[in-house]
Amino acid sequence: MSVASKKAQQLARRFFQLSLVDGAVSAERVSGVLEYVEKSRPANPLAVLKAYHRLIAAEIARSSAVVEHAGELPATLLADIAASLSKSRGRPITATERTNPSLIAGLRVRLGDDVYETSVASQLATLRSAV
Amino acid sequence: MSNVLQEIEQQIAKLATKAVRKNTGSIISISDGVAKIDGLSDVMYNEMVQFPGNAIGIALNLEEDAVGCVILGDVSQLKEGDEVTTTGRLLSVPVGKALLGRVVDALGNPVDGKGPIAATETNPVEKIAPGIIVRKSVSQPLLTGIMAIDSMIPIGRGQRELIIGDRGTGKTTIAVDTIINQAKINKVGLASGDPKFRPVYSIYVAVGQKNSNIVRTVAALEAAGALEYCIIVGAPAADNPANQYLAPYSGAAMGEWFMENGMDALIVYDDLSKHAVAYRQISLILKRPSGREAYPGDVFYLHSRLLERAARLDGKGSLTALPIIETLAGDVSAYIPTNVISITDGQIFLETDLFNQGIRPAVSVGLSVSRVGSAAQIKATKQVGGKLKGELAQFRELAAFAQFGSDLDAKTKGQLDRGSRIVELFKQPAFNPIPIELQVATLWAMQKGYYDALPLAKVNPGAVSLREFLATRRDALLTKIRTKAALDAELEGELKSACDEWKNIFSA
Repeated sequence: MSVASKKAQQLARRFFQLSLVDGAVSAERVSGVLEYVEKSRPANPLAVLKAYHRLIAAEIARSSAVVEHAGELPATLLADIAASLSKSRGRPITATERTNPSLIAGLRVRLGDDVYETSVASQLATLRSAV
Repeated sequence: MSNVLQEIEQQIAKLATKAVRKNTGSIISISDGVAKIDGLSDVMYNEMVQFPGNAIGIALNLEEDAVGCVILGDVSQLKEGDEVTTTGRLLSVPVGKALLGRVVDALGNPVDGKGPIAATETNPVEKIAPGIIVRKSVSQPLLTGIMAIDSMIPIGRGQRELIIGDRGTGKTTIAVDTIINQAKINKVGLASGDPKFRPVYSIYVAVGQKNSNIVRTVAALEAAGALEYCIIVGAPAADNPANQYLAPYSGAAMGEWFMENGMDALIVYDDLSKHAVAYRQISLILKRPSGREAYPGDVFYLHSRLLERAARLDGKGSLTALPIIETLAGDVSAYIPTNVISITDGQIFLETDLFNQGIRPAVSVGLSVSRVGSAAQIKATKQVGGKLKGELAQFRELAAFAQFGSDLDAKTKGQLDRGSRIVELFKQPAFNPIPIELQVATLWAMQKGYYDALPLAKVNPGAVSLREFLATRRDALLTKIRTKAALDAELEGELKSACDEWKNIFSA
């Protein structure tokens, strides 16, 4: 890694720290950071913004779960999942739903790098690899 | 019928399991068997990761925003964006006696077409070497069957002895000879029913070799009946660098199983120069900082952690390592050769000039050394060969001076004559290891001047003839030398009468 890109990474990390309020990304702070970058024009702004984008995207992915399902979803399930994940992670987590027929039946919850899966598709895949 | 129901219920229970948690990432880029992965926030160093299509990888670079993995297996189906998951496991290979007689790849999968391997245990490929407390000093010989080595550069069980030399100087031949000799000793020892006998199992790791060379080695071992005591781990030149990098560690894991279960094993790494090159390739693709000759900074640790795994354990077995290094134009002061020389307990240096002069094995007595020394020799060999190394070194020095003048005194002429006879005596064809009792008899006859009357060209045929004579007519004497492992007055008397008889026959 070159010195310039290292400095860009460091600056992006500083901007990222400034964008958090109580451990969550604040839209207001993000706008403030973007405004500052536009005005002050730091060295290598493209690399800084790309690194900043990656950090913010990873943080958002860590605090918003995507619940994939094949069939109908009970009304309270989404809220229950969000509450359960918030409790286990010790931070507020929101949940959004997405239909994925390839699961056949069951659920797949994606939160950051972690995937919790209890679907027929995954069990069939496990069976296939075991046979 | 209840069993059938239970089986179905178990299957249902398996399917009705709770949600499975996986830590995932996605491929950012792939090049030359190395992938950069975004995500995998829980991955551990050296952990196995699962790629789509049954390919596996090992996490080698844990960076702030990406993970660098080497991929083992088919990379042609992988593409950017593919999901990768952690497994929570370290890379392991099958171990145990079921692998004997088989040819496997760096992951322990059979490649010899003899069907699956019935191994029940696995060992992690990377393991911390045994510490100081559990080790025991090397004192038991590991006989190579090569007279020049067993008498002058003895190797002990648990030792690391480097075989070094230019290409085509017979490095692999020495290693294969040693494996064949272990098989011969195993057969005799196991047939004798001696409860104290400890067989030596061998592992031959081929790194970056041509497939044709590996086939030739396997054929030589099979022809000598040594394959049944041997495991071949192959990572040929056509294999990806990740497999070439891993193969020596896989071999070490297989060898350690024997050591930890109270058995003795020998491992040959053929060769570590190509291993270092494979690691350099991986490191450069992983964008690790490069140092001297573009090797990464941890190239010393690459070999030291591998060779430190060879040891003699107190109350358990041993693992002897014979690493091979190929030099360029005899330069032992290059980076990788000096590294491995400093790690090992001695080296057998093979010279191109000697090889071309027909002196085979082309062992350079001056540059070869065994730091274990005579502690790993039987008493009989010490009795007959204790002074050989000095005599031969003196001969080489005198021979260099003798080139400048012809007026030599009788003493110098005698030393030169004796030296050239020793050189002739040590010539030995490939894949033809000599049992230790015959080595002792051959050297005893030389010590007592039985070859002095023979013309120089007849010394080696004379020694061969003496060995044939003893093997066919004095089997009981040879057994006594083997079992007593020392020459006393009675044995020397018997040897004298046998040699006298041979002399009469040979000179007739």
